[in-house]
Amino acid sequence: MQEHDLLHRIATLLKKELGPAIEAEYPKTQAFMASVVLQKLAGQLAHAERDRDLGNKDLTALIAELKTYPEYLSDTALRSATDAVADAADDAALCTLIDTLYAQRAALGEERFGCWMGRVRQTLRAAIDRRMEYAA
Amino acid sequence: MTIAAQDFEARVLDYIGGQMPQADNLGLEDVSRIAVGWSHETWLFDLTWTEGGTPRRQGLCLRRDPGNALLRHMSSLEEQFRVLQCLDGTALPTPKPYWFESDPEILGAPFLVMEKVAGQCPSPWGREGRAFYAEAAARGVLPQSFTEALATLHTLDWRAAGLDFLGVPASGADFVRREIAKWEDLIAVSGHAPEPILTDLVAWLKANVPDSSRIALVHGAYRTGNLLIDDDRVSAVLDWELQVLGDPMYDVAYVLSDLNREGTSLLSNLVERDAFFRDYEALTGSTIDEEVCRYYNALYAMRSVAFWMSAAGLYASGQSNDLRLARTAWSVPVVLERAARELGY
Repeated sequence: MQEHDLLHRIATLLKKELGPAIEAEYPKTQAFMASVVLQKLAGQLAHAERDRDLGNKDLTALIAELKTYPEYLSDTALRSATDAVADAADDAALCTLIDTLYAQRAALGEERFGCWMGRVRQTLRAAIDRRMEYAA
Repeated sequence: MTIAAQDFEARVLDYIGGQMPQADNLGLEDVSRIAVGWSHETWLFDLTWTEGGTPRRQGLCLRRDPGNALLRHMSSLEEQFRVLQCLDGTALPTPKPYWFESDPEILGAPFLVMEKVAGQCPSPWGREGRAFYAEAAARGVLPQSFTEALATLHTLDWRAAGLDFLGVPASGADFVRREIAKWEDLIAVSGHAPEPILTDLVAWLKANVPDSSRIALVHGAYRTGNLLIDDDRVSAVLDWELQVLGDPMYDVAYVLSDLNREGTSLLSNLVERDAFFRDYEALTGSTIDEEVCRYYNALYAMRSVAFWMSAAGLYASGQSNDLRLARTAWSVPVVLERAARELGY
């Protein structure tokens, strides 16, 4: 049995059998809430490997495209922030890139800022859509 | 500190006895702890006593700060008490505040005691609550009372009421900048991992701050569920935890938000949009600025993220064992998804 299947079964037990058998209000609510938490966790675990792989793939595609933008060569702050995303491949580096983009907005101009942010947001949208599959 | 129910009641009686030296034969009746909100523990009871031989009875509400409130260092029962003191005697219906006690030795944590106002406060998220508000909407009296109370709040002379202790923002961008800084602070102490959509949202909010020249007392969470209803009227505006002096459109945006309605087009599950616009504008003499309200909706997305990150962090750090807080770890992406849509992606 896989971990997420086990969690799913415990969540169902809590919701359908254990929770309804509890009379006191607070523990009853907590039992139902435990069921919800386990359901979410089961969904997250079930998708973890796929999400990690797709996330890495999306990030690689993002960096590859950003490196083709002229400002990657002309703007040292943007180049450095983009390279940091490539190296670290994590959300903290992505946050720094976004902050850098806003800081460089005036220098970039609205059209180029929109182009960079639009491409970054495409990656963010794909990531949040994956998380919504178990979070919503 | 955990205090047994019987001991708790004895301590409450002892405390109130000290505040009411003229009262004899003090007693508590119909004591119940109610499960509301995320921040403070709430008890309702009737206080009975005799005074000069005459029997008396007064409904009271006691709120205690458990020390692990969602708002963390921003949570202040003392401020709530001061706000209620300032509002007492104004046209805005609020519970009369009686005592605030900061000494944690008495009940294990600071607490306040205020009037138990007549009325009910159905949750708009449950089936029964939604039915309650749908029926009230059909009768048409409560929706107008909802808007009237908000207009009363926004036209209140906050300086005369002594509310300037809340901090008076300068005209322009100051109010919004203060709000953003407040929620950034809560996010920072939550210990949550970086979230790129949140970074985008905060940067966008900072880059698009609207000017606000009008300053009013803003409730911060004006909706059904935070209002006591009696006989189809708002009998008290409750939950004074997020109040601030600032742009009244901040409250209006909250009313307009679809965050606060479920399965209905009625604002806050209660008010027709057109009627709200008509009545609010007539009563306040102010025009609702929908563009500014859209901005505030994005700011509310940031605030919601801050709340859920704080809640999840309290559970993660062991400061709370309430599983409702653990569950909010998955509310963070839900609000972030909404924020992404607010930003157009």
